[in-house]
Amino acid sequence: MTFFTIILRSLIRRPVRTGLTLVGISIGIAAVVALVGMAWGYEKSIEKQLDVIGVDLLVSNMSAGIMPKVFDASLQEPISKLPHVAETTSVLMQLLSVEDAPMMMVSGREWDGFTWNKLEVVEGRMPKNADEPAVVLGRLAAEVLKKKVGDTVQLETSELPVVGIVDGKAVVENGAIILSLSVMQKATANEGKINFVDIRLAPGTSKQAISELSEKIRVIFPEGRARAANEVVSANQGFRIARAMSWSTSLLAIVVGVLGVMNTMLMTVFERTHEIGILLAVGWRRQRVLLMVLCESALLGLLGGITGVTLGAIGLKILEHTPAIRGLLEPDLSAKLLLISVAIAVVVGVISGLYPAWRSSRLSPSIALQS
Amino acid sequence: MVETAKTSSGDIVYEAAGLKKEFDGGKVAALRGVDLQIRQGEFVAIIGPSGCGKSTLLASLGSLDRPSAGTLTYRGNSIPDMPDPAAYRAHEIGFIFQSFHLLPTFTVAENVQIPMFEGNKSRSQRKERAVQLLKSVGLDHRLGHFPSELSGGERQRVAIARSLANGPSVLLADEPTGNLDSDSAQQIMELILQLHRDLGMTLVLVTHDLTIAERASRIIAMRDGRVISDQAADTPTTALQ
Ligand SMILES: Nc1ncnc2c1ncn2[C@@H]1O[C@H](COP(=O)(O)OP(=O)(O)OP(=O)(O)O)[C@@H](O)[C@H]1O
Ligand SMILES: [Mg+2]
Repeated sequence: MTFFTIILRSLIRRPVRTGLTLVGISIGIAAVVALVGMAWGYEKSIEKQLDVIGVDLLVSNMSAGIMPKVFDASLQEPISKLPHVAETTSVLMQLLSVEDAPMMMVSGREWDGFTWNKLEVVEGRMPKNADEPAVVLGRLAAEVLKKKVGDTVQLETSELPVVGIVDGKAVVENGAIILSLSVMQKATANEGKINFVDIRLAPGTSKQAISELSEKIRVIFPEGRARAANEVVSANQGFRIARAMSWSTSLLAIVVGVLGVMNTMLMTVFERTHEIGILLAVGWRRQRVLLMVLCESALLGLLGGITGVTLGAIGLKILEHTPAIRGLLEPDLSAKLLLISVAIAVVVGVISGLYPAWRSSRLSPSIALQS
Repeated sequence: MVETAKTSSGDIVYEAAGLKKEFDGGKVAALRGVDLQIRQGEFVAIIGPSGCGKSTLLASLGSLDRPSAGTLTYRGNSIPDMPDPAAYRAHEIGFIFQSFHLLPTFTVAENVQIPMFEGNKSRSQRKERAVQLLKSVGLDHRLGHFPSELSGGERQRVAIARSLANGPSVLLADEPTGNLDSDSAQQIMELILQLHRDLGMTLVLVTHDLTIAERASRIIAMRDGRVISDQAADTPTTALQ
């Protein structure tokens, strides 16, 4: 018999209570995994998209909202003339509710820009020219909207035919409705407006040169900022909100978990006062009793964490295939997230056990005398 | 933790002077000034009517409870002021209770190992020692059984084996046969006496049963929290039976 046997035995002896506590804590941890996994997945898919398209710098005004503010399309030209800028293209991208889908990425791209030319047609064709009132759908967007070539989509007030299905390599690309910038501007009543200038840099541009370039862009466009593509993701207010919300909801789930485990541990300690008295009477040190209760609580956390992570991962997989979410994001189920979640569960266990452990270690060995 | 140098002075194991214990903020006076000395290797029986303070005295000797006043020493060291009372309880004494106090979720062999966690025995040494102790109380065939599967006499044997876990030199027994039928009681007493004789353990035993008390080397009679008589039982028990 080892010390661990002693700890395990007291959890096993009350299977119902241990089970219910595990259910409680694992639901909490599953919520953490699902929420944080979604938030991280969202960010990662955007990063991946930018990577696939080959954008190095993005100029936008991130001051408010989930998507950047629109600004005048004429700003593109001076930016394109700056040193180290190889190529630029304008984009007007918005999250719109389209027919049955509550949130769809709709991306209006400058005709013939490099973001257009990356797309691969898998079915149908591309629009004939910049002004053809037509859209192409990313593969997932087509599935989500249940559209094929020849159908139409209702975009705000315009009804536009779907002329092609495209593969954009990244989930966000494939989940988007893509159309020519001028058609997008018309459909959303944003004539002459854009909200991104995507920049491709000359090969071998140094970090130093990039920061000088950013400074120059700031002079041209004081409200805007040029950010490295991956930096955009972390600075975006929408992402920050999503991240904050997922962590704060997670915190709530964790607090509920702590209360549940603490309640269980307190009940166990109260029920076992006599036994703890016996342990002290046969010579156990107070620290050993304290450690026993704490380890029991931590073990509850660990087991709850493992179950919770499993539940959360299954939940995320299910969410990933839900029509409303499909195509918008690819949940992040990294080992890092799973490990962090299990670690949180163990910490929850330890914190919940502190008070019960302290209580039990304060008991008097004379309790053993009462039969 | 106990300085052996001090034990030489007349082999006094326990010494109490003016020992008092009150409960409930002074409403109950369980010990009202007890003076006594117990020497190495003695078998002392403590008798007296219910509520006279026998268990309270034994708990004080075993450092299970703190006296309210007076002095109490173990081999010259003050028991209430011990820096490490757990080590004293684990290594110096073995405590045997009337109602056994085994842990119900642990097997016989595991119960005996519980006190050994205070000490530096390895897992296999603990197991080995438990088996050896259980063999010596005649229970090595019930190692994997739970206390609920044993008779009262068998449970008390397990408790005795547990009390010997770390090789103590003193055995404190509070009515160890109080919950047993007369046959089992007889066997348990023989076992305890054998330990006292063979291992030279100092034995302090609380009992209602005069026939048991008469087998002691000394009988301390208590009433109302005081010692009313303390005499050597020079008459062999067998003569009285
Ligand atoms: N924890 C306690 N709180 C309050 N009073 C107590 C407590 N423990 C013992 N007492 C009281 O102290 C007195 C002595 O009790 P103790 O248990 O020492 O008696 P005893 O001689 O062992 O009796 P018995 O033969 O019935 O076991 C009793 O009046 C008892 O009610
Ligand atoms: Mg008593």
